[in-house]
Amino acid sequence: MATGFFTDTTLCIGCKACEVACKQWNELPSDGFAFSGNSYDNTVELSGTTWRHVAFVEQTMPTEDGVANRWLMSSDVCKHCTNAGCMEACPTGAIIRNEYDSVFIQPDVCNGCGYCVVSCPFGVVDLIERFDPEGTHYNLASLSEERVEEQKTALQGHGGVAGKCTLCYDRQKLGFVPACAKACPTESIQFGNIDELRERARARVETLTKRGIHAELYGADDAGGGVGPLNAFFLLTDRPEAYNLPAEPVLPSTRQPAGYTAAAVTALGLAIAGWMIFRNA
Amino acid sequence: MPSLGTSFGRGGATVWLPDIANADCILIEGSNFAEAHPVGFRFVMEAKERGATIIHVDPRFTRTSAMADIYAPIRSGTDIAFLGGIINYVLTNERYFKEYVYAYTNASNIVSEKFQDTEDLDGVFSGYDKEGRVYDTSTWAYEKDERGHVKRDPSFQHPRCVLNLLRRHYSRYTAEMVERVCGIPPATFTKIADLLASNSGREKTTAFAYALGWTQHTDGVQMIRTAAVLQLLLGNIGRPGGGIMALRGHADIQGATDIATLYDLLPGYLPTPSALRDEQTLAAWLKTNTKPTGWWANTPKYMVSLLKAFYGEHAKAENDYCFDYLPQLIGDHSMLPLVFAMKDGTVKGYFAIGQNPGASNQNAGLTRAAMEQLEWFVNIDSYDNETVSFWRREGADPSKIGTEVFFLPAATVLEKEGTMTQTSRMLQWHDRAIKPLGDSKSDAWYFTWFAKRLKELYADSTDPKDRPIQHMTWDYDHDDPSERAKGEPSVLKVLQEINGYRVADGEQVASFTELKDDGSTACGGWIYSGVCPDKQNNRARNRDGSGPYTALNWGFAWPANRRTLYNRASADPDGKPWSERKKYVWWDESQGKWTGIDVPDFIATKAPNTPADPDGKGMDAHSGADPFIMMMDGRGQLFVASGLKDGPLPAHYEPVQSVVRNELYGQQSNPAYGEYRRDDNPYNGEVSDDYPYVLTTYRITEYSGIMTKYVPWLAELQPAAFAEIDPELAVEKGIKNGGWVTISTATGDMEARALVSGRMQPLRVTSKGQRKRVHQIGVPYNFGEMTGLARGDSVGNLIPIALDPNVSIHESKTLTCNIRAGRRPPRHRDRIDAPVPAQERDPLGQPIGDWAKAHHGHGYQHMQGDEHGGSEV
Amino acid sequence: MRSIPSPDDAFIGAASRNGEQRATIPTYYDHPMLKWPDWDWNVVTYLFLGGIMGGLGLIQMLARPELESERKLKRTVRVTSFVLAAANPAVLVTHLGRPERFLNMLRIMKFKSPMSLGTWGLVFYSGAAGANVIRELAVGGTLPRWMRFFAPGLMTPVQALLGAFTAGYTGVLLSSTANPFWGSGKRHIPAMSVCSGLASACALSSLLCTLEGNTEPLQRLERLEMVAGAAELFILTDFERRHPDYTKPFFKGKRGEKLRTYTMAAGTLGPIALNVLGSMFNLPKPVDALRVTAASILTLAGGYVLRESLIAAGKASARDPQAAFRQPK
Ligand SMILES: Nc1nc2c(c(=O)[nH]1)N[C@H]1C(S)=C(S)[C@@H](COP(=O)(O)OP(=O)(O)OC[C@H]3O[C@@H](n4cnc5c(=O)[nH]c(N)nc54)[C@H](O)[C@@H]3O)O[C@H]1N2
Ligand SMILES: Nc1nc2c(c(=O)[nH]1)N[C@H]1C(S)=C(S)[C@@H](COP(=O)(O)OP(=O)(O)OC[C@H]3O[C@@H](n4cnc5c(=O)[nH]c(N)nc54)[C@H](O)[C@@H]3O)O[C@H]1N2
Ligand code: SF4
Ligand code: SF4
Ligand code: SF4
Ligand code: SF4
Ligand code: SF4
Ligand SMILES: [Mo]
Repeated sequence: MATGFFTDTTLCIGCKACEVACKQWNELPSDGFAFSGNSYDNTVELSGTTWRHVAFVEQTMPTEDGVANRWLMSSDVCKHCTNAGCMEACPTGAIIRNEYDSVFIQPDVCNGCGYCVVSCPFGVVDLIERFDPEGTHYNLASLSEERVEEQKTALQGHGGVAGKCTLCYDRQKLGFVPACAKACPTESIQFGNIDELRERARARVETLTKRGIHAELYGADDAGGGVGPLNAFFLLTDRPEAYNLPAEPVLPSTRQPAGYTAAAVTALGLAIAGWMIFRNA
Repeated sequence: MPSLGTSFGRGGATVWLPDIANADCILIEGSNFAEAHPVGFRFVMEAKERGATIIHVDPRFTRTSAMADIYAPIRSGTDIAFLGGIINYVLTNERYFKEYVYAYTNASNIVSEKFQDTEDLDGVFSGYDKEGRVYDTSTWAYEKDERGHVKRDPSFQHPRCVLNLLRRHYSRYTAEMVERVCGIPPATFTKIADLLASNSGREKTTAFAYALGWTQHTDGVQMIRTAAVLQLLLGNIGRPGGGIMALRGHADIQGATDIATLYDLLPGYLPTPSALRDEQTLAAWLKTNTKPTGWWANTPKYMVSLLKAFYGEHAKAENDYCFDYLPQLIGDHSMLPLVFAMKDGTVKGYFAIGQNPGASNQNAGLTRAAMEQLEWFVNIDSYDNETVSFWRREGADPSKIGTEVFFLPAATVLEKEGTMTQTSRMLQWHDRAIKPLGDSKSDAWYFTWFAKRLKELYADSTDPKDRPIQHMTWDYDHDDPSERAKGEPSVLKVLQEINGYRVADGEQVASFTELKDDGSTACGGWIYSGVCPDKQNNRARNRDGSGPYTALNWGFAWPANRRTLYNRASADPDGKPWSERKKYVWWDESQGKWTGIDVPDFIATKAPNTPADPDGKGMDAHSGADPFIMMMDGRGQLFVASGLKDGPLPAHYEPVQSVVRNELYGQQSNPAYGEYRRDDNPYNGEVSDDYPYVLTTYRITEYSGIMTKYVPWLAELQPAAFAEIDPELAVEKGIKNGGWVTISTATGDMEARALVSGRMQPLRVTSKGQRKRVHQIGVPYNFGEMTGLARGDSVGNLIPIALDPNVSIHESKTLTCNIRAGRRPPRHRDRIDAPVPAQERDPLGQPIGDWAKAHHGHGYQHMQGDEHGGSEV
Repeated sequence: MRSIPSPDDAFIGAASRNGEQRATIPTYYDHPMLKWPDWDWNVVTYLFLGGIMGGLGLIQMLARPELESERKLKRTVRVTSFVLAAANPAVLVTHLGRPERFLNMLRIMKFKSPMSLGTWGLVFYSGAAGANVIRELAVGGTLPRWMRFFAPGLMTPVQALLGAFTAGYTGVLLSSTANPFWGSGKRHIPAMSVCSGLASACALSSLLCTLEGNTEPLQRLERLEMVAGAAELFILTDFERRHPDYTKPFFKGKRGEKLRTYTMAAGTLGPIALNVLGSMFNLPKPVDALRVTAASILTLAGGYVLRESLIAAGKASARDPQAAFRQPK
């Protein structure tokens, strides 16, 4: 069964429980303690060790008697694309599509080449750079010894391995709801059968529209560009870029035919030139 | 808070969280619901999805405001003016719920002619003693007839009937005045007032939710009182989707006040005996604390049962059930006054258990300095914190500090079992998830062994003063041999004792109605009675969510597993639901009893048409249509004749440190607030040009208290203390987003990172006729300078100690400050650390004047239940 | 009235996709939308060597065995290409961290992944080059003569074809990503990779010939290098002309200056000039050897800087949310 997420940002209260639950379940380290000044967002982006990231979009608009505010919050995650750029790019087959139709990285197969990193149109996946079980980034008490060993081996050498949301494959196998969805107090993150979620999302847009609220689905349907519908899709109230999402993501591999053709034509041309040079001289 | 207690009878939230989902309109004011109570906020979201209008009134645009339909920015500390304005709107436009008000409130009571209002005395009520800064409340009484019954005027013609007093008192709280005081434009104000009124009545209900934004003020109790008055006028108390949701703090804070961390209350909200009142014998205590009518007529049963639980077989009728073993109050022993006493050397030893006052207290610098003067200090905590490490703070010289410090490792909640009583007064049992790490022990373990060792030490003493220790019962030994071997007590046995039992056979009582005042029952906290109705049954363990949404088989809510308090009021005087839509508890004629989806908060078989017996005792004095059973007259109190120390009706006062003059009265701030004028507790001055900005404090979702800054997953989310500043002020002061700022007051300074945000808006208000632009600065309280992964100065350094007269709550939601770009200079010893000359101090650290005497103890006798009383912080 | 505004007013107004497209899209605190790779000198070298290797594949086919000088050239080129093919995975391993990790690449072959195909290209290329070296050695007598059958004549065009692929795929590898700059060069980058690879291969061959004293094929190599160089220059110019926005990090600023100096001027025009000089005047032998060496080193350095600039500009481009939001088609 294809499962996924419908993240309804109109319900998100920005509590970041999803971020923390994800790190806790997956035993991921913190990404450092830097103050960004970007609203309440100090996580700033998804990374190899941050698989949920809540964006805080502050907007102000002048009114007759002051200003009106909007504070949009949205919990971002790997989109588990139908045509996943990361997966197509991965040279080792570390990235696979599992039985829940989610895009899953097998850390033991990944070689840290980083090609998926540049091939994700959403800037999701990244190499895990930091591993410092002695340092302050891990919650020591929570980190099992096997996990320490596992991470040590996986991250030997400088490249690390690629990390991103697994859609809680392990939890799904056990029949649990993903940690982030479980922790979300307002059901902003809804997990379930992807078709049902899409239906629910469409109904939700209708309800909101009736209430006079601008709502659009992001990634529920194929938006062109080759990525196809997303298994983790969103309901947004502003244009995607406001949330740092590309309005028209492009599947990188769609650029290959042109690339190979250009290379072949050039090579052929040069070969002919070479043939002429070597034969005629 | 006594505000809810004096208005309705019990200090707890009148509703429970899931019921919020049934509201048609929710006013969130004085709480950052979404951020500080994110899990409970789901019910607000549910209500919103069902079409309810969400209103948030707050100085800052927060994550709660982001979810609200209407947001109104308010100048901090002016909520009485705002709510008073709505009361005025409701009364002048005749939009109150008439049948409800007439039947269920004291609107018709006639107040004594000696009473003078703030209208007459420019901001103070009659009975004020300027010297001692206290009220003699006797003039606030009702007029009585020859037989001693309160006079009423059901025609509401009498000028001194409560309803007409209200009209007069609030007549100056106009929309225009609200704008001048609060900075809320009239259009917004009227819209909110209209929404509240239109969403109340037979068919609809409005719920209020508040927390610290209404409590942490020198007139905090009166702020909540204003809400209580308004909700009574709108007829929303005791009804589904209505009520006042007091949002509680720490996970078990409700439980902590129930059983019983407040210095002036014994378990179950029985007042601690006081040496300053005539309460030296049990009979005398009972005389002051037993009410002739209403539920509190049962006080003797609860007190005697409590003493039986404390002293077991030693408690006998002959010896007053060991009443004289109880300590007697001799002043305000709440946390902050205690700090002065430590500083001055009166208090020599200190146990801090699960608190971090070195960062969380007001005038935190003073607290840390005070600890230097102690002989010994014990801290039971799971982490190193600003308190236990006071001796190595910036500027301190450890070699000169003589305090002997003991740091005992505490097991955290996951490492122990027990109940937590959450914000809906519900007890829920939790099991132990993991064994305590290292040497850490549960708090119960520590107390058990303190008790056992003390008993051992004093076993052979013949000194009568040691008898309380010798005679104290302490039989919580675990039945499980392995736990017993570890010395762990059985907390279930503690809960069973709290529930109460029959002395003769040791069997549990099923409810507090079985308690007796003859020594035949023992009960450690009568309000929890029923949680363990027999030895096998622990209702706090119940986890059955089926049935109607009240889910009565989930956990146990005190009292008697009731979810909504005063729910008799959800039916009309005849016992019929006010409307089909708002059906909750009603009289079932055929069965001859009250039924519904909740446990009725009423005598189950008392028919609605039962007449009151004006000369009757206890509950007989109430009619079948008096829903507020804890009150002497069974009614909601619009006017509070006794029980409050700063007025029977809420009036707007400016905070002790303000940026404007009081627009409403000549009286600037609460005339009875707890003032501590000492060198080490300096105030900025009533209105001072040196401190032109408003400062407010709050918490952020990312942390729980100050304790979670050790968790890397949380520390990365908010890595540094910050200050929220409006863009206009930032430009004026050359402050850059993300850069450093220093905020200062007369009390101290702190540095933080600047978060410049359009969410903070300057407000236009008026001060004695002059227009003024007010900038408000917000600083989260969740940081501390010494420990943890996320660091930052504690905002407690900036706040002088100034207290509410009723509950000694501090004023940390509103003060004044100055701000500049850049970091603060290094800390050195200053006047806060220096000892105060002996002539300036009072033996118990009390403020000067009669205040101390008058303000010890809550002095009212209703179940009240806000943590935000002095002792907890 | 501070109620939450409905969506049709100013908040979204400015940003609405129904409305007028603004010059700049409002971003998320200007924070990058995309990630960039941690690719460094090792990946640059890998791409650079891959290009040369590919070019050598073509040259080993073009060199005619009938002519003694070109036979020698063929042999040198084949041996060199094999050495490079063997060395390149080692360079990659310095990036991946551990040798086993390279083997992970050989678990599967994935046509959609240029990195996977490229790896297999490299492997097959090594095979073909190896076979051709064996043939050379067998023909030359270092190995038993019968061993020449290991590599039938067919292997010559096969190595050339694989060479063209390895030179070209490095470009596809970059352009088949989400990176706006690389993506915008989906035709140009592969084409320029082929050109630069061949030019560098010619330069390296010339250098080796000069070292060996085999000056006979130099002229042809130089001409081919000039053609490849000229083509590269044309592609670069065309790239900038067609995608002025996306290529800013490549052609503008410090990085652009470096590219112009080292790749376009010194690395392409320079050798062309030197080679034209060589064909116009009959320079004395040692001077000519110096000229050839200089031209070759310039071309090689230019090729390296080209790869370096491609990677660096890619990283810069990824940091620009404006570019990332408007993905090139
Ligand atoms: N995440 C998290 N949750 C917590 C806690 C925590 O530390 N972290 N602590 C718990 C504890 S101990 C408590 S007591 C509760 C407190 O819960 P809340 O009271 O909801 O929390 P605060 O953020 O302290 O204050 C509430 C709001 O009051 C506003 N405010 C300040 N002054 C005024 C005023 O004069 N009028 C009005 N109307 N509003 C004002 C502030 O801007 C703030 O948004 O939260 C509990 N929940
Ligand atoms: N300026 C300003 N000051 C404030 C407030 C404000 O809004 N503004 N809010 C006030 C309020 S409402 C509150 S509640 C206080 C909170 O102030 P505190 O209670 O002093 O602060 P916490 O950080 O919650 O402290 C809890 C301590 O208990 C420890 N602990 C945790 N679990 C256990 C346990 O099981 N056993 C033991 N023994 N220890 C444990 C933690 O490690 C931590 O050190 O702050 C008050 N101070
Ligand atoms: S969002 Fe990126 S990382 Fe996730 S599946 Fe799609 S391409 Fe892969
Ligand atoms: S880094 Fe790992 S997952 Fe990503 S492309 Fe390379 S091998 Fe695949
Ligand atoms: S599904 Fe699991 S791995 Fe993915 S974001 Fe949620 S908690 Fe993290
Ligand atoms: S847990 Fe839910 S409400 Fe909280 S930030 Fe994540 S998505 Fe938003
Ligand atoms: S921290 Fe605990 S008590 Fe507070 S909202 Fe979360 S779950 Fe509820
Ligand atoms: Mo609290």
